[in-house]
Amino acid sequence: MSAAKRSLLARALDDRIFVAVTSAVATVLLAAAAWPGLSDYRANIVGQLACFALLAVALDLIWGYAGILSLGHGLFFAIGGYVAGMHLLEHSVAVTGITPDIVQFMGWKALPGWWGPLESFPVALAAALGVAFVVAFLFGWVSFRSRVGGVYFAIITQALTYVAMLLMFRNDTGFGGNNGMTGFQAIFGVPFQSPGVARGLAVASLASLVAALVGCRLLTIGRFGRLLVATRDDEVRLRSLGYETLRLKLAVWCVSAVLAAVAGLLYAPQVGIINPRVLSPDLSIEIAVWCAIGGRGRLAGAVIGAALVNALKFSLSATLPDLWPFVLAGLVILVALIFPNGLLDIGRWRPTLLSRAGALQPRDATP
Amino acid sequence: MTVAVLVEGLTVEFGRFRAIDDLSLAIDYGEVRAVIGPNGAGKTTLLDVISGVSRARTGRVLFDERLELTRTSEAAIARAGVRRKFQKPSVFEALTVRDNVEIGAGGARDAAARDRIAATLETVGLAAEADRLAGELAHGQKQWLEIAMVVVSEPKVLMLDEPVAGLTDEETERTAALVRRLRTPGRAIVVVEHDMDFVETIADRVTVLHEGRTLFEGSMARARADARVVDVYLGR
Amino acid sequence: MRWRGVLAGLIAVVAACSPAAALDRASVAARACGGASGMTDAANAMVASLPDASVEDARWVATFSNAAIERTLRCGAGAPTIAAPEGARDAASLRPGAPADGSPPLLSLKNRPLFETVRAAATLLAGPTAAERAGALTALERRAGSLPPELFERAAEAETDPALKERVLGVGQAALLNSPDMAKRLAAIQRIAATPDRRALTQIAALKGDPAYGEDPAFRAAVDAAVGSIERWLAVSNALNVFYNGLSFASILFMASAGLAIIFGLMGVINLAQGEFIMIGAYVAYAVQEAMRAAAPGLLDWYLIAAIPVVFLVTAGVGIAVEATIVRRLYTRPLMTLLATWAVSLLIVNLVRVAIGTQNLQFVTPSYISGGRLVTGDFIVTWNRLFAIVFAAVTLALTWFVLKKTPLGLNIRAVTQNRAMAGCVGIATRRVDMMAFGFGSGLAGLAGLALCPIYSVNPQMGSNFIVDSFMVVVLGGVGTLAGTVIAALGVGQINVLIEPLYGAVAAKVIVLLMIIAFLQWRPEGLYAVKGRRK
Repeated sequence: MSAAKRSLLARALDDRIFVAVTSAVATVLLAAAAWPGLSDYRANIVGQLACFALLAVALDLIWGYAGILSLGHGLFFAIGGYVAGMHLLEHSVAVTGITPDIVQFMGWKALPGWWGPLESFPVALAAALGVAFVVAFLFGWVSFRSRVGGVYFAIITQALTYVAMLLMFRNDTGFGGNNGMTGFQAIFGVPFQSPGVARGLAVASLASLVAALVGCRLLTIGRFGRLLVATRDDEVRLRSLGYETLRLKLAVWCVSAVLAAVAGLLYAPQVGIINPRVLSPDLSIEIAVWCAIGGRGRLAGAVIGAALVNALKFSLSATLPDLWPFVLAGLVILVALIFPNGLLDIGRWRPTLLSRAGALQPRDATP
Repeated sequence: MTVAVLVEGLTVEFGRFRAIDDLSLAIDYGEVRAVIGPNGAGKTTLLDVISGVSRARTGRVLFDERLELTRTSEAAIARAGVRRKFQKPSVFEALTVRDNVEIGAGGARDAAARDRIAATLETVGLAAEADRLAGELAHGQKQWLEIAMVVVSEPKVLMLDEPVAGLTDEETERTAALVRRLRTPGRAIVVVEHDMDFVETIADRVTVLHEGRTLFEGSMARARADARVVDVYLGR
Repeated sequence: MRWRGVLAGLIAVVAACSPAAALDRASVAARACGGASGMTDAANAMVASLPDASVEDARWVATFSNAAIERTLRCGAGAPTIAAPEGARDAASLRPGAPADGSPPLLSLKNRPLFETVRAAATLLAGPTAAERAGALTALERRAGSLPPELFERAAEAETDPALKERVLGVGQAALLNSPDMAKRLAAIQRIAATPDRRALTQIAALKGDPAYGEDPAFRAAVDAAVGSIERWLAVSNALNVFYNGLSFASILFMASAGLAIIFGLMGVINLAQGEFIMIGAYVAYAVQEAMRAAAPGLLDWYLIAAIPVVFLVTAGVGIAVEATIVRRLYTRPLMTLLATWAVSLLIVNLVRVAIGTQNLQFVTPSYISGGRLVTGDFIVTWNRLFAIVFAAVTLALTWFVLKKTPLGLNIRAVTQNRAMAGCVGIATRRVDMMAFGFGSGLAGLAGLALCPIYSVNPQMGSNFIVDSFMVVVLGGVGTLAGTVIAALGVGQINVLIEPLYGAVAAKVIVLLMIIAFLQWRPEGLYAVKGRRK
């Protein structure tokens, strides 16, 4: 009986791995904010990892908790990234007066007039979150309404980002085509090369990650979270207990999309470019891979997976770029076959299970 | 007295297969109605249509003589007070027993709701297991948990699809006692079951379905005496 | 445009001179030495003489006009001569021994094309080889209107090569369009309209600028009717072209997605490596081609046929290996299978990239699938696409046979409908899974084989088809071949239909939107097997 009466905060601390990972991220955040020895290069890498981790948390929220696998979260990430790109280009022009390259290669005279309002950061932030929300809501509504789920939903989301990628590759679409947007000069009035910009962006990314972790944790341990898990386990059962699962799924889907857009918003300034490659189906599948490798439905697993895989990718891409795809493929197959719950399972894994890993496997909660 | 569930001219098709064929049926408040018949007679499909999971091709299903169920969503049907236990035990395995029942109660958190949840857990004998994960329960316990999930909302129509399938004799007896206790004047209970002794223990009336149509309606004793029922279902 | 004036003048002269007098070689040669206007006269005289000229005269015209073009004609104080390494010859008689003096006459920009036309016309009549005559005809095609139509009639009569004869007649009809005889013109219009292609349209539409179009109502009506009829046929042939291309694309889509749909229906699993199985199929076909090039170069043409069983067996083998090592261990987790098969696709693409390279493979186009046959208007049935279509039709028939008439097919259908029950009645469900996975992979390999004469083959090629194949599976539903066939036809045709109008990207966008809209109406796809909740 005591469990029900304990406060939300107390229950939030129940999951030791979650607490450990969140504290670790918070520690890195403090270090990034205060440690003088941090180079811009490292700050930038930490910031990018935080963005990927945030993206993975967004996906874990819907896949791990609600059982909805999206293979198209790159779309929402790209929405954030492109809005950030437009904001930074407008802002760069306002601060430096230099015409950016995109104007030349798109054959424009100046940046499109309708980008103007995005020069203001609050407008850009609202636009990124708003567009991500609207797209997610429309797509989610038509999909969930017609009870599209499971593998069907996954491959339709994949087709969605694939089509978006083809669209963005075209110059006519008006967002820089193949080249995308680059050549950002200034952020919040400060030139990009100034000391502290990389660090500031890393701190912002880490802070967003911590906030997302805590927020999602509170969201998932409450009643809403239990209903999500119930949707995942048996949606028909939940509906015939009087719950409109459409609303539940739509809500968590939109929250997840908005989080992914925030990740994209933070990512674009850190890599200095946004182009249609973030919409490639491979990136979207990789997000799911991070969650699977780290462990689904725990939030912490998503952070671990995203950070580990991308740290490995950064180091291997520099030294042995040809080897990386093989390592990634091997990791995925290893996790799929031996650690069904990802690396969080390592503690429970016994070598005898190797031959029939199915014994401990949970079922996907999909019809 | 109003009829709890009124089925009129109901036809359900899956492709070319006609699962229910022009079926009409009335279930009253206060009665326990058993729906029996051979496999493929349309018993589960009937429950599917009443609970909104499957859609009818023609015909209508009225709840409480006011709500047309064939045009109402599953969730709205459940909220109106028509609840159903599925054939395969359907509980939320990743949640605790208490969470499961709480979800069944509609999420109300007030003292009355908490008392009702505790009482329901007591009734089905799962009070001691309240904080365990539902996935860890034994098969019989899952059956009872699912019954708890549907009865905690105090439904007006309660549908139980094979509540004693796979249970031991002792568990079956306990389930029968539970069903008798759930019978109130304001509630109609529909039971689909193959265990004839269980049916005889609980049912006020039985409806025998065969190939999507009603073959017989009346008491279990008369059903046992009916030649056609014996032929297609009960056997000699 | 400079041509028009020249041609108009030439036509006028031709009209004035006909019926042509016998050719006076000396006078022509003399006129050719008489400055620019003299040269024009000479050319016109030669053209006018050609329809009735003897073979001898035609040869002389060819030689003389060639001399003028190649600047071996000499105009001096005496009779014109033609210079040659072995000694000059008299220009009119071509007899050797003439004194070679004088200089070549200047061939003006205006006269050069005239002489070229004369040379080509004479060569068409008197050229010794078919190749020369064909070359001359090609040179004349665009100028046919400026020549007397009888010239082509005569050339066609004399022509021995049947294909060339056909062409000469065609060009002749174009020439007849400008015949002074209105009856002949009208007849020519009708005959040209009978083979409705783009050139015919250009030819006849050009007549709207003819003075007769304004003056002669019969002519006007004939031209308008012909233009209308050709445009209708062109529209038809255009539609046929679109349909035909769509059909061939749909054929490959069908082969790529039939396997996906069978596996999805059976195991609830989408194989994200299906595109790579297509790629493997194409690479195996390439390997067979290279092996035959080395072992039996004479039979190289037949590699595409010889590769069919090899491709099927190899891709089916790869599929079975993937099923046995990975997919079957994940059968309760279809979403994880998506990721695992994606990893397999990553592995395959990069293995091929490292081992073989990223360049496009070069395929020999066997003689039996090169070229095509003109059916109507612009519509050509190309054999390579027909190969893909027929191949897919045969594959469809075989797949249908396997599913409906063999024990494996019966087992696949049984397990698809009720896995537990099938297991209970003694079907080895895991073995059925494995065989079905192999079968579906083999079909994807065959898709790779069928597309290698049409599309480029490289390690990334799989991704070009995979998303469309998914759409086919989503649209077609699972469990029936008919759904897959119809969905493949639909997706293939819509893609090809929209592409020329709004571009390839818009085609994909519209296909996706249509599928999402369609799912609102039928969430389970076209041919879902509905049933109660299990």
